[in-house]
Amino acid sequence: MLEANCPNCGAEIRFRSADLPVKVCAYCRSSVVREGESLKAVGRIAEVPEDVSPLQIGVRGRDGALGFELVGRVRWRWTDGGWNEWLMLFDDGSIGWLGEAMGRYMLLRQIAHSGFRTDMVRKLRDGHPVTVGTEATIDGIQYRVTDVKEATCAGGEGELPYSAPLGLTIASVDLMAADGHCASAQKDQGVGEVSVYTGRYVSLADLRASGLRAFEGWPMPQFAA
Amino acid sequence: MTTPLPSVRALTCTSCGGTIALRAAGSTVSLICEHCGTTLDATDPQLRIIARAHAAMHRPLIALGMRGVLRGTTWEVVGYLERSDGGDGWSEYLLFNPYQGYAFLLDDGRRFSLGFLLDRLPSYTWGEMELDGEGYKRFGSSYATSVKFVVGEFYWRVAVDERVRVSDYVRPGKMISCEENGSERTWTRLWMLEWGEAEAAFGLERRQREWSRPSPHEPSPYRDRLIESTIIGLIAAVTLLIVAIMGGGSTRVASADVQAALDGATHSEIIRDIELPGRNAALTLTARAEQLDNSWVDIDYSLVNRRTQENFDAYALAEHYSGSDSDGSWSEGDSTPSIKLSSIPPGSYDLVVELGAHRWISPSRSLYITSYAPGASSPIPVTITVDRGGMFAGNVILGLILLLIWPAILLFLHFGFEQRRLSPVTEDDDE
Repeated sequence: MLEANCPNCGAEIRFRSADLPVKVCAYCRSSVVREGESLKAVGRIAEVPEDVSPLQIGVRGRDGALGFELVGRVRWRWTDGGWNEWLMLFDDGSIGWLGEAMGRYMLLRQIAHSGFRTDMVRKLRDGHPVTVGTEATIDGIQYRVTDVKEATCAGGEGELPYSAPLGLTIASVDLMAADGHCASAQKDQGVGEVSVYTGRYVSLADLRASGLRAFEGWPMPQFAA
Repeated sequence: MTTPLPSVRALTCTSCGGTIALRAAGSTVSLICEHCGTTLDATDPQLRIIARAHAAMHRPLIALGMRGVLRGTTWEVVGYLERSDGGDGWSEYLLFNPYQGYAFLLDDGRRFSLGFLLDRLPSYTWGEMELDGEGYKRFGSSYATSVKFVVGEFYWRVAVDERVRVSDYVRPGKMISCEENGSERTWTRLWMLEWGEAEAAFGLERRQREWSRPSPHEPSPYRDRLIESTIIGLIAAVTLLIVAIMGGGSTRVASADVQAALDGATHSEIIRDIELPGRNAALTLTARAEQLDNSWVDIDYSLVNRRTQENFDAYALAEHYSGSDSDGSWSEGDSTPSIKLSSIPPGSYDLVVELGAHRWISPSRSLYITSYAPGASSPIPVTITVDRGGMFAGNVILGLILLLIWPAILLFLHFGFEQRRLSPVTEDDDE
């Protein structure tokens, strides 16, 4: 844990992990990047518009035996909607993403290798069109592409593993398997880098999520109470 | 941090200025004003107008904003659309709960189904769709649907006349529906709700049960009763047969040799002191007159209870005829008739037997009529036996039929229902 002050506005900011070098200042929305001991404000990130998501920074839960806390969020927008990606900091120091779209949740971790053995991933990297229904095998699991879209970063908050510049555009491919596994491949349209994430669909009850946001007139679900 | 936030946001319709609610901010993409029907872009802070209303506005059966508890989860109605496949139309409600996401409530006008988007792909094996170890049969061929009316908010871009291709796979109680448009393919699993379940949840008037036009995923209303009645019917039938075989053993309670005078006066014989202990039981009275030859014996029985004088009457005819004609020799008649008296109460009885024997003059023997001398023939010996217990075979068969009538009716109704349920099935035309 590192406590510091925002180089832009002077507000107190905290870094939880050495693996998360970026913090969005809650006051001035500066994206503060830590490089060793020095801090640098590298532009601003828009506030995520108010939404009816039960998640918020500070929500805790468990993936099996391993506890986690949500420490950051990136909001993506595409022509027909948007979704949230919540950054999960696990108790063992590793990180993952909890994708939230249409009231459903995907628990994803980035795969260590680049995934280029998968034809679909190579197509995405090389800028060839990827179509819905395409089969793709990643780490022995057979998926099908369910969704292909281009999205733009519309905002962010908290701590992040990278500096998500506002307006960053990605090509995003969602995949689904027969057994509840899911995957996501994203290509940074600026640098051309492809990241592949795999995981599974989860419910908030599966994660035993606590510290959820309370909404007027909606009782807190039993698993979170 | 724990102060509850408002989940509903009041917006002003860009077109008519009316106040409209936004219940799922962040997820909602299309917002259709409930006052004027204009489609607004919920992802745009300015609420850009996407389309003006095509049709006159009307209110859904379940109003937007209504809440109901279905299968333990509270859902709020946030969107409503009406779709049609060209012939049949149905309604779909989009339900929302901030902690559970979305669900669909389908109303075909008769029954409701609750649907959830699948987060896994069903697998196609052996000509069936399989999900969670359950097989689903293809129902008909895929068909085009279009949106006829829409109001409220949706997490996708919805528009009147929007066309989607649908394929359905069914099993009793559940359906998997695959919807495809150009860029997306989604799978939804629907659970048929019980009669009155959705009505109770959303305060609607309970619908009448009827099964004339079943939904393709409707469980047969006769199935459970059929299984139950078949099991009960079979147990009862087996029990009846066991009782018939076990209890069918009879005991001889009396036997007497009497004589019937040929062409003489009828006379009575009395078999005394027939003891029938225990409970009511059937009696079988058998007369054996094996020496009959072209003659018959009328036998009138009267079983009299010695104490109450209550009597049970019966009649039997022992007969035997033979001869020869152009077809050869022939014989007919039962010389050992048995008759049954059912359910005779216990007690001490006398059996009065009145016998009268008569000669039959065959036309072919008319020549010998002169040789016939009244009183010259010897009397015919008849052995009367009384047996107690035993079953009436006819009653056993009737009992079996009665026991199995109800399962048979249910079987008939069940298959009739299944045929109606799956009737519009045609060959796959696009696989």
